[in-house]
Amino acid sequence: MFKPALLHKTGPQVVQEIRACIGCNECLIACPAIAEPITIDVLNRETVSGNISPAVARFSRSCYQCGACVAPCPVGLHRDAMMMWLKVRLLSSGQEQ
Amino acid sequence: MYIDSFNQNESGNNEKQSATGYPWLFSYVTSARVKSTLVAVLIIVIAIAFYNWYSRNGTDPYPDSGVGLFFATTGTLFFVMAGVLFSLRRRAKKRAIGQLNGALQWHIAFALIALVLLFLHSFGNFNPRSGTFALYSMIAMVISGFIGRALDHFMPRLIAHEVQKALTTQGDDRMTTISQKLQDLVVYNTQKVEPFAAQSQQGSPFNKVRGGKQGTSNAFSTDSASWDLAYISLEETPQELSRNEQQYRFVPDRKSTLTQPGALIPGAQAQMAALEDVQQALQREQFFRYIIRYWRIVHICIALTTLGLTLWHLEYAATLWLPH
Repeated sequence: MFKPALLHKTGPQVVQEIRACIGCNECLIACPAIAEPITIDVLNRETVSGNISPAVARFSRSCYQCGACVAPCPVGLHRDAMMMWLKVRLLSSGQEQ
Repeated sequence: MYIDSFNQNESGNNEKQSATGYPWLFSYVTSARVKSTLVAVLIIVIAIAFYNWYSRNGTDPYPDSGVGLFFATTGTLFFVMAGVLFSLRRRAKKRAIGQLNGALQWHIAFALIALVLLFLHSFGNFNPRSGTFALYSMIAMVISGFIGRALDHFMPRLIAHEVQKALTTQGDDRMTTISQKLQDLVVYNTQKVEPFAAQSQQGSPFNKVRGGKQGTSNAFSTDSASWDLAYISLEETPQELSRNEQQYRFVPDRKSTLTQPGALIPGAQAQMAALEDVQQALQREQFFRYIIRYWRIVHICIALTTLGLTLWHLEYAATLWLPH
């Protein structure tokens, strides 16, 4: 309970985690922030590259980094860190415009 | 670079629509939110209307009256539902994407209904008894819930801002990049100094005359030293004496260019400042994460306190109702 909070991951680490994702959807099922059905492959693809669709953007803004997605992952990935990466991408894209 | 290569490989079929930006204020309307809000508003409006009517026309507008007990029972029921249903949904084996968010919306709606119904149950009697403490605790719990929602809304954006400072535009760790730059600066400055030292040894006319192999260790290889050993004192110099003291510090002369900031290692000051900025950003990130994490614990603690005070109040009410 009193462990230090996990800090963010770098881009290469996020890409590595996404490549290790087996697409079981457990993280999305455990998420209290997601309100609309998004497939894990779309989320994985848009996390690291290209355009971010409105649905994924809504989800990423709604994510409040509670970490509920980490425990159910069968391969021990940190979806919250991936979502943070997506948030940074959104933030950067907004600043560019 | 790593991400760019990933982009080229896997970004073939992206959607044409794209969303950008991360505003401070945003709100998304979902079906669960609409339904839960409508139900909450409906029940609260009906309850307040009935309360107003009963307060004017009722025969017994007190907490222990039939209507008062009805408010108490339904309020407690909604309070229990707010706590239990969300927890059960979180632990359920059969779940679908988005269901937990719906459960969270209902959790908020039920808690609000419970607060209003239990407030109406008091009928304006706020004597310092168990029920009043339970009501205050309930109010604190709902307020902590709303503060928690606000923190959940704003803190991740603040974290994202700090993470943006800690990462480069390519997504690499900025601290590593700055450290590398610092190392490069040190190497550059060292290389700038070394040729002089090397030249003083290699370029000495004595080496050429002597023609000996370089690197051989003999007494004559220290060419820069004085040849007249009579002038070499074996006693410690004042500098060596002061160096042996515990509080020795190298303090260059005031007029020396070394005292100017950045003169010793040009460019290092800016890198050090950038490094400090990143460290502060990381500390702030961790602090924001702690707030998100521990506020949830605070909310649960207040909820448990409310439960305890409610049980205490029920025990108190039971002593009034049950025959001695």
